[in-house]
Amino acid sequence: MANLEIRSVSKEFKTGKVLDRISLAADNGEIVAVFGPSGSGKTVLLRLIAGVEQPDEGTILLGGRDVTDRAPETRGVGMAFQNFALFPHMSAFDNVASALTAHKVPRDVIRAKVEKVAALLKIDHVLQHAPRELSNGQKQRTALARALVAEPKILLLDDPLRNVDAKLRYEMRLELPSLLKASGSTVLYVTQDYKEAMALGDRIAVLSDRNFAQIDRPAEIYRTPATLNVASLFGDPTINLMPVEPWTSSAGPKIGIGGAELSLPPGYGHMAGNACVLGLRAENILVEDMASPESLPVEVVAVTPLNERTLLLLRTDDGREILASEAGTNEAPRRHGPAFARFDAEAVLLFDPASGRRIVPQSA
Amino acid sequence: MEHVSLPERVVRGFLIALIVLFFLFPIFWIFLMSFQTNEDILRIPPSLFFTPTLSNYSALITGKLVSTAGTLDIAFMKNLWNSVLLSTASVFIALILGVPAAYAFARFKFRLGEDIAFTLLSFRFAPPLLVLLPLSLYFQQLGLTDTYIGLIWVYQLIALPLILWIVRGYFEDLSPDIEYAYRVAGHSWWRTFTRIAIPLAGPGIAAAGLLAFIFCWNNFVFALILASAEKQPVTVGALAFVTASGIQYGQIAAAIVLSVAPTLALALYAQRYLVEGLSLGAVKG
Amino acid sequence: MTDTAVKHADAPARRRINYLPYLLSLPALLVCIGILIPFVTAVYYSLQRYRLNLPMMRGFIWFQNYIDFLTDNEFWHTVQVSLEYTVLTVGVELVFGLAIAMLLQKQTRINNLVSILLLLPLMTAPAIAALMWKLMTNPNFGVLSYFVQLLGFNNFKWASDPSTALFTVVLVDVWVYTPFIMILLLAGLRSLPTQPFEAAALDGVPRRFVFFRITLPMLTPYIITAGLFRMLDSIQQFDIIYPMTQGGPGNTLLVFQVRAYLEFYQYTNVGKSAALLIILWAITYALSNVFIKQWLKLRERARGMA
Repeated sequence: MANLEIRSVSKEFKTGKVLDRISLAADNGEIVAVFGPSGSGKTVLLRLIAGVEQPDEGTILLGGRDVTDRAPETRGVGMAFQNFALFPHMSAFDNVASALTAHKVPRDVIRAKVEKVAALLKIDHVLQHAPRELSNGQKQRTALARALVAEPKILLLDDPLRNVDAKLRYEMRLELPSLLKASGSTVLYVTQDYKEAMALGDRIAVLSDRNFAQIDRPAEIYRTPATLNVASLFGDPTINLMPVEPWTSSAGPKIGIGGAELSLPPGYGHMAGNACVLGLRAENILVEDMASPESLPVEVVAVTPLNERTLLLLRTDDGREILASEAGTNEAPRRHGPAFARFDAEAVLLFDPASGRRIVPQSA
Repeated sequence: MEHVSLPERVVRGFLIALIVLFFLFPIFWIFLMSFQTNEDILRIPPSLFFTPTLSNYSALITGKLVSTAGTLDIAFMKNLWNSVLLSTASVFIALILGVPAAYAFARFKFRLGEDIAFTLLSFRFAPPLLVLLPLSLYFQQLGLTDTYIGLIWVYQLIALPLILWIVRGYFEDLSPDIEYAYRVAGHSWWRTFTRIAIPLAGPGIAAAGLLAFIFCWNNFVFALILASAEKQPVTVGALAFVTASGIQYGQIAAAIVLSVAPTLALALYAQRYLVEGLSLGAVKG
Repeated sequence: MTDTAVKHADAPARRRINYLPYLLSLPALLVCIGILIPFVTAVYYSLQRYRLNLPMMRGFIWFQNYIDFLTDNEFWHTVQVSLEYTVLTVGVELVFGLAIAMLLQKQTRINNLVSILLLLPLMTAPAIAALMWKLMTNPNFGVLSYFVQLLGFNNFKWASDPSTALFTVVLVDVWVYTPFIMILLLAGLRSLPTQPFEAAALDGVPRRFVFFRITLPMLTPYIITAGLFRMLDSIQQFDIIYPMTQGGPGNTLLVFQVRAYLEFYQYTNVGKSAALLIILWAITYALSNVFIKQWLKLRERARGMA
């Protein structure tokens, strides 16, 4: 049975509908990353589950119980807010302990639990300080400690690393997965950073346009995104999108780009004659000096060396611009000028322009 | 750092001294007068030098004035006590009733709340007699004239809108997320209100309470209309005092000093809160 | 495995009514009712011929009370005195308060101390302040009577003289309420952005220009707000005038509320008193709407700059 389940939940504000009949089920101990652009309703979703807001319609079940009408203090979830929401008039210790003091836990037990969690999050030496005396990183970990200390079955983390400086964010991104797994809670982790989502989540729920566009394992989302939108949200640089119209040939379906004819996997044969959008990830494009079958002539217009890879801006004969990414740095930096681009046909994605949905290749 | 010329500094200092003189002189003078005997008061020209006496105060405090005309009973202490009782009780009740209501107005957007806030605000500036004169007739019918209960109820008309106005602003400035965090941590709405919202709005509540106390204490017209001799606070009592015959001027001065001492002391002690409340949040960041 | 949409039967739309806010604001509601009932009663009375000492003559005369006022010289005198009082007090207090605020603008220890001391008149009950000044202007022993005699004014009767009574009560009002204006304008002055002034100093702009063209325009919202606030109080002045002269000498100081009070208690004319108060209320209602709009604008601006 799923530990956390929302069914057909909707929420509307004066500014418009934010969530439209969304559903999600998370298993015990699973970490689900809720990812979406800013304003997509991720925080609203967390608030609905925590009980701070009420859904207009739908049901929320925690541990199998229907909690939709129950007050937040009865739901037994732990939550970490984006802007920390620490109690300014209490010490860090009392802040963390507040998750335990509601349940008549004896003082020595509280002390033991708070100190244990604080040690885990490396804030044990600042427990007696007031929140205003803590650094941002310490505040964030205090907020996390408060969410964790009562060992809740459900953990809601609202972009906890957002207001933390880059170096600390990187460190926490390494520490958090083991921390969360060790807690054993079911975790909903909201983030705007797709890399964070991919690093932390067992599954990712992509929230866009008031609903979940896709809920899947990170690798699947990357390799087989459900929609154009999802494909664009994941990947750096953003996926290359080109309108094409395949036709059938004796060698299978083909498309034309920049004057060259390139083959598509046979599974796309049924799209012949239909306008499609081709999705091609930058790292799946090979730029070579020599022509080869299935390559198209391009001009290297710009070269941006980044440490571990190089970005190349290519222009095709018919004026389209494509971004390609090469691993490593060349000893001899690539020069501008004519070249040939070849891509792995199996890695190609095809989308329907009207609905944005990915076209699934049919098996023969 | 501006460079202000010496002549200018002198002029500035002189003007400030004049201003302080103007505003503090009456208080100072009446204070002096309260320690003077009648002869000292009536002496012309008035002098700053005299032998002080406590007889005026002792007459007030003991309630008896022994003079050549006989012994006069002075009920001023009763007035003082009435002021203390009415102001304290009214503010206390207004806080109990008003702070939760201010919280409701701040946190929940509901139609009734907006209507109440609007009504109270618009009547804040209405002439008091408009409400008091009909009320006095009602009070007569209800038997509430000249009762502490009736007066404390009417004093709510002064204290409650003030408290609502000021405290609401302070609650609105608190981030709701902090309260949500406490609730999600497992605490009921009431515990959140008492352990989080109220402590964090503490300065505002103190300012409002202080200001309400002073306004209640200084109130004149409410008590004039709805109280008679037994229950009158000092503002009305002092007036009656002045017009009574046989009272010496020194005692009037002493009565005035006793009437204003509490509010002046409060003002000095808590002036920071006062100024904040008085600015009505108009320039609060 | 991909979940895109798990379809369930739609749960019925739910709208929970939260009783909490209504419960919490119950007392405030009661107070509201406690204000509105007498108010409606006052309107009701104002439409009647109602004298407490002639109860059998009570009856509806609709707007006759109001119409009678139009031809009543005493009424127009009341209007005139009230307006004079308001204009004089607000005018003097604004100018005086602004001057003091400018003098105390810099945050020095002396200035802060002076600001605190100037709070004291504001904290005295106006009724008591009236008594204080009554003592000081007593013709026999009042220290102020003595001083004006030194200045050559013999027989200056202060509040007992129709020609100087208004001056006297305005003086008391100025004494009590100027600090209020000062506090507001001081807070306003201190919250003004410093850049324009720094720029003017750099450019060597003369101080008079700075005051009239920079300071004053920026302070205008505060001045208007403070002025309206005082106007609202002054037009319904009672606490100072009644203890001082009970509206006298004669009818010199019969402002609105004092007249209404006397109509009610001296002449027991409830209907007329109520009508007078309704007229006053209409004036204050109109003024307060303007004031509230100004004040809210000021608050928004202050919040925006924070």
